[in-house]
Amino acid sequence: MGNMNDALRVERLSFRYGKRLVLDDIHLVMREGTFTVLLGKNGSGKSTLLRVMAGLAQCGSGKIELLGKDLRSLSASSRARILGFLPQQHRPVFPFSVEDVVLTGRACHVTLIPGKKDREKAFEAMDRVGIMHLAGRSFTELSGGEQQMVMIARVLAQEPRIILLDEPTAHLDFVNQARLLDLIRELVDSGLTVAAVLHDPNLAFLYGDEFVFLKNGRLQSVSSSQKPWDGSLLNAVYDMDVHTVPYGKRALVIPGGDKKSVDHS
Amino acid sequence: MNRFSFLRAFLLGIVLVSPGIIPHVCIASELVASSRITVTDFRGKTISLDRPAGRIVCLIESALSGLYMLGAADRVVGISANVYQGDVYPYYAAMDPRIAEKSLPAPGNWDFVNIERVIALDPDLVIIWSRQEESIRAIEERGIPVFGVFIGSFEDIYREMRALGKLTGTSERAGQLIDAAKEELTRIGAKTQTVGKRPRVYFMWSQGELETSGSKSTVHELITLAGGENVCGGIEQEHLVVNMERVLAWDPEVIVLWVNERKGPKDILDSPIWQGVRAVRTQNVHELPDVFSSDLWTLKFQYVVKLLAEWCHPDVYGEADLEKERREIFVKLYGEKILPALSPR
Amino acid sequence: MKRPAIRWILYGLPVPVLVLSLLVGPSDVMSPGQAVLWMARRLAGFSGQADAKEALVSAILWNVRLPRVLLTFLVGGALAASGNSIQALFRNPLVCPYLLGLSSGGAFGAALALTTSWIPLQPSAFLFGLLAVTSSYLLARVRGRIATVSLILSGVIVSGIFTSLLTILQFLTDPFKLQTIVHWTMGNLHNATWEKVRSAAPLILASTACLFLMRWRMNVLALGDEEMRAVGLNPEREKLLLILPATLAASASVAVAGVIGLAGLMVPHMVRMMIGPDNTHTLPACFAFGGSFLLLVDNLSRTTASFELPVGVFTTLAGGPFFIFLLKRAGIGWET
Repeated sequence: MGNMNDALRVERLSFRYGKRLVLDDIHLVMREGTFTVLLGKNGSGKSTLLRVMAGLAQCGSGKIELLGKDLRSLSASSRARILGFLPQQHRPVFPFSVEDVVLTGRACHVTLIPGKKDREKAFEAMDRVGIMHLAGRSFTELSGGEQQMVMIARVLAQEPRIILLDEPTAHLDFVNQARLLDLIRELVDSGLTVAAVLHDPNLAFLYGDEFVFLKNGRLQSVSSSQKPWDGSLLNAVYDMDVHTVPYGKRALVIPGGDKKSVDHS
Repeated sequence: MNRFSFLRAFLLGIVLVSPGIIPHVCIASELVASSRITVTDFRGKTISLDRPAGRIVCLIESALSGLYMLGAADRVVGISANVYQGDVYPYYAAMDPRIAEKSLPAPGNWDFVNIERVIALDPDLVIIWSRQEESIRAIEERGIPVFGVFIGSFEDIYREMRALGKLTGTSERAGQLIDAAKEELTRIGAKTQTVGKRPRVYFMWSQGELETSGSKSTVHELITLAGGENVCGGIEQEHLVVNMERVLAWDPEVIVLWVNERKGPKDILDSPIWQGVRAVRTQNVHELPDVFSSDLWTLKFQYVVKLLAEWCHPDVYGEADLEKERREIFVKLYGEKILPALSPR
Repeated sequence: MKRPAIRWILYGLPVPVLVLSLLVGPSDVMSPGQAVLWMARRLAGFSGQADAKEALVSAILWNVRLPRVLLTFLVGGALAASGNSIQALFRNPLVCPYLLGLSSGGAFGAALALTTSWIPLQPSAFLFGLLAVTSSYLLARVRGRIATVSLILSGVIVSGIFTSLLTILQFLTDPFKLQTIVHWTMGNLHNATWEKVRSAAPLILASTACLFLMRWRMNVLALGDEEMRAVGLNPEREKLLLILPATLAASASVAVAGVIGLAGLMVPHMVRMMIGPDNTHTLPACFAFGGSFLLLVDNLSRTTASFELPVGVFTTLAGGPFFIFLLKRAGIGWET
């Protein structure tokens, strides 16, 4: 681990959507050079938390700091230079080329028209993600997974210090899931700070450094004696039976319940 | 003239004295004839009346004008709404106190007719544009005779006047007016023919500088009768938009504007596009005076022909007093009561 | 989809098309040869006319054809560039510059001017067009945010309001004025004068220049509001920066040429089919091709009929088949 500075701090964050309280008194600290995973059931508020941290939802009450600066005081483009965000869904309408899509990630660095340097950065990003072979293809022709990789390259082209990803593995096949998470590890090892919402706790425990559990908009507290992969903790977070199987220093998580029809002997 | 003033006074007297009497008064100079009156309207339909019409709803301003010329306006019980608007109003107000007081009902217009109100006036004849088919059907279904009008040429005006004369029992007067108009045209023709050649005339509608009329139109007739040549005569269309290049190539010697609120001859004379044209160089650009005086759908068209003839052949007519001529023609058509409306210009 | 050759052809179209257009006209008036001769003499520095015939040629070319050709090009280019920008803004290739109420507002403004003789025509059409778009924009603003769908809806509402007002005006006016209003609404280039060119050119050129500067940002816009925010752009600001010049350019066009339909919708589509959706290329190409396209269409209308037909009739007749051909060949190329 490199620097132990706080990349992102969240204090006393509450967020309402209309009358509904979606996030209630969240405290969170992400250190530089770490990969934090947000876990919880659907509707627990994890995506909302991510979006609020990314500055995309109008802030509720509370304080958010990026690299020591108050989020609210940053202009959109200054914020984008620090923080990159990968949204969950993409609905492309025009058949832009992959290259052009990745290039749009440079928006906070470009005044009006991207220059040679911007194009180079875009190509670097595509190379890093391993999609150079797709450069000239039309974005709308790609599979969901390929499109996801392109959007990730776009975030990398933005050259942020912190990256927030909302369900990045959603459309990816088995191979690409692993490739993506490997990539995240590489980025984190090179000094970036990454946070992601993952639906699968196993992937989280295999790759993550820090873990945040959300339930009904509140942080699920982890007592000092509990590990994140503690069975009773996960029972509480997911409201279901889980079994844990030790795996090295960590554990694998298996959904519980009585699967009588399947032969596990 | 006297006869008609007397008759009108008589009528008014009766109407004032006995308001309860159903006003189917059929007083006309040809009252004696008890045979039916039959005319064919412009749709080709035959209209029959037992006696001259006594309660007329006239939804066409130009036909109404004709009724005033025939002296049958006292029989009118309903008019079109546009009589109360624009520059035609003062003329009618001068001729008819009912219009001056705005007491004469106006149950319809060129596009919209309130059938109920028309029926409520209990007419025995309705005069309307022949193209307003729905309204015509609705009225005829109630058993009311409808005379449909469509003026496509000056001959149609004569036809209309003859028919209106028959319908109102004023055929003699109609004949007189028509003959007088034809005489006037003959006079004009004789005078303009002495020149020998026909100047090229471009007629400009008020919708736009390039809107004009081709050979199958009253405008074309107008220009021809005035001793001129319609530059657009090579194209048949009644109303069309031409190409500016063509107009420049035609090089008209006289430009006549229809009554135009937004533009006047000065705008054409000052316009850079029109500079090279002969009419502009010789300052021969004119505008017709007002909608009432320039109405090409009535016998007043003879006045417009005269105007054009004078503009086309200034040497023949010399310093003509156009205003004096307008007064003369109008008095001949409408009688002296129209004089107050002819304000000195 | 990158075909640079086609791109350069599109950029280069205006000049030959402009020259060609000057040579074209109603054939019984003047032959192309005479036009060429005139141009050659002018370029060689001769001024003054040899004879009356020469004077006519000069008058026609300088006072009638040249302003018309220039105005047509400017209007065609403005509508296409505006259309391209609006389609990028709304992320929808089926919208046109008139979406936010511009055409209804402009038509109402023109009708108002035509029925009351003291209101000047062009300024009225222009200002009411702007008023309509501004109303749509303000209506769609909710708590400082402007959702694309809201903009479309408010555009429909505002269009509806102005159209009803226009209908009332049309109903109350006399047949002559009504005809004038209808003619104006159909779109007309035959009344082109230097005065119209002078009034429209600065605004059209300035607005199109703004759009030109924004051409890469349209790419970012096209990816979505959330993506835009993620990447550091403020969607509200960007939308305003696009709507404003796009509306000014289109409104200036409507003020001088009436409502020419389909040009702002079809041309960007055609350009995208030819060179792909990258706005850094399509924006200038739309201006060049849009202007040339309208010019070619207008040339056709000038030479075929002995009278003038509204230019919109020809845009559909000429553009339709071309569009179908491209559609069959390349496929539309966008997903909903």
